[in-house]
Amino acid sequence: MLDVSGLKKIYPGQHGSVEALRDLTFTLGDGELACLVGPSGCGKTTLLKCVAGLMQPTSGTVTLAGTRVAGPPPDMAVVFQEYGRSLFPWLSVRDNVELPLKEKRLAPARRRELSDEALEAVGLTKFAGAYPWQLSGGMQQRVAIARAIAYEPRVLLMDEPFAAVDAQTRADLEDLIRVLWKRFNMTVLFVTHDIDEAVYLGQRVLVMSSSPTVIQDDVTVDLPEERDQIGTRAEHRFAELRSHIYAEIRNAARPQAAATAD
Amino acid sequence: MSAQSTRPARATAGGGVLRAGLRVLEVVLLPAVLIAVWWIASITSGLYYLPTPGEIAATFAELWFSERFFEDVLPSVARLLGGFALAGVLGVGLGIVLGLSPRLRAVVEPVLEFFRAIPPPVLVPLLMLLVGVSTSMKLAVIVSGAIWPILLNTIEGVRAVEPVLIDTCRCYGIRGRRWLTTLVLRSASPQIMAGLRQGLSIAIILMVISEMFASSSGLGYSIIQFQRGFAIPEMWSGIVLLGLLGFLLALLFGLVERRVLNWYHGVRAAAKGE
Repeated sequence: MLDVSGLKKIYPGQHGSVEALRDLTFTLGDGELACLVGPSGCGKTTLLKCVAGLMQPTSGTVTLAGTRVAGPPPDMAVVFQEYGRSLFPWLSVRDNVELPLKEKRLAPARRRELSDEALEAVGLTKFAGAYPWQLSGGMQQRVAIARAIAYEPRVLLMDEPFAAVDAQTRADLEDLIRVLWKRFNMTVLFVTHDIDEAVYLGQRVLVMSSSPTVIQDDVTVDLPEERDQIGTRAEHRFAELRSHIYAEIRNAARPQAAATAD
Repeated sequence: MSAQSTRPARATAGGGVLRAGLRVLEVVLLPAVLIAVWWIASITSGLYYLPTPGEIAATFAELWFSERFFEDVLPSVARLLGGFALAGVLGVGLGIVLGLSPRLRAVVEPVLEFFRAIPPPVLVPLLMLLVGVSTSMKLAVIVSGAIWPILLNTIEGVRAVEPVLIDTCRCYGIRGRRWLTTLVLRSASPQIMAGLRQGLSIAIILMVISEMFASSSGLGYSIIQFQRGFAIPEMWSGIVLLGLLGFLLALLFGLVERRVLNWYHGVRAAAKGE
């Protein structure tokens, strides 16, 4: 479904160029939920922007369903970390969700159907007429998620979407993502700096090294399909996976170790 | 989340009436005092050039509620609104183009600063020669002054569009007209409205000045004529009319602004509340 091959990004600068991504290669299968973790400053956002077609990589390719990504592809949706700023404050919750559908030239009845379904799925049916600034942070992020789902994407990218919400809201939103992923059959790439979150959510965890960045490890999360905030996190296997990835990232933070890790 | 009144609800009818009465008093008190002071000053001084408010009010009713309303007031207001609308369309249109193009802005900005520095009234004699003593000349004068705050504020507003929203629009393929109206114009609307408000008060000033210089009708023309004919109460009533006109337009503008920027005030209130 999603192929990233030899991705490299160098930011030119006045005081020498910065190599943000060195060589990233990975593949996501159709309907897979993969999490991408890495130490801070390792270029997670750069990678996501390249995959989303918002930024041109220096070299390497991103291929979505056989088509090379040169600009934002039509069947991909993105949920940004800055949820408050990614919503249009002058549009109601429903209009925020339906705006991309208008651009898709869907009939009003169909738009309504999709936005109703998406708002129901994130539990915001009652707030369709509200404005984003009348909602709490967690609810705002739900609006952004509803907008992404209503767009009916084949691939959903999420860039540290829960980094700025409180712990309880975060747990709720994590479970919501699992539910939505199953219900809408999307391929999900979830970027986070939180190892627990990555293990809890993903079928796979891709571990990024520190800058200059490569994919250091690709961990299959062999936990049961049904995840539970209390039960899953208490499992022995969860702790093992978590420690394994934690050690990888600790290694990644040391440049010498990163170079010889593979 | 909900907008609840912070005042304790005292449900006595008498209290409500009393409070409404106090509110009216608050609004009316200062104007009443000012009129009284003027009245006393004009009676005690006996100055010919300072008629009493009573005299001015009587003259006002007699003078302006007549055919003069159609001959002088309406043409002035039409020129004012026409010039303001033209300045608005040109200012916002050019502002969007310049705001979106850094390269064009670099070329044009120094020239803009120069033109902006020219006081618009000095253009009146020039425009009289170029365009003639006509409605077009008056519109040109109004536009030449009112356009600047609108243009410069629009440029600032367009430049300040939230980058995350720009990325969001790119991801969801929002472009063309919808991009312009839903993203750029709405983002810049707080600055655009601020520019329009300044532009409106400049337009009123230039409407009067252009009519004082070269006109055969209008409020500015009438006031000059009264002054030259020593029709002092009439002159004062014209000044009062201009004041009322400006006040009324600012009030209307405030109503429109509240509707257009409802979201903006909401965002600001939410940001303060946190």
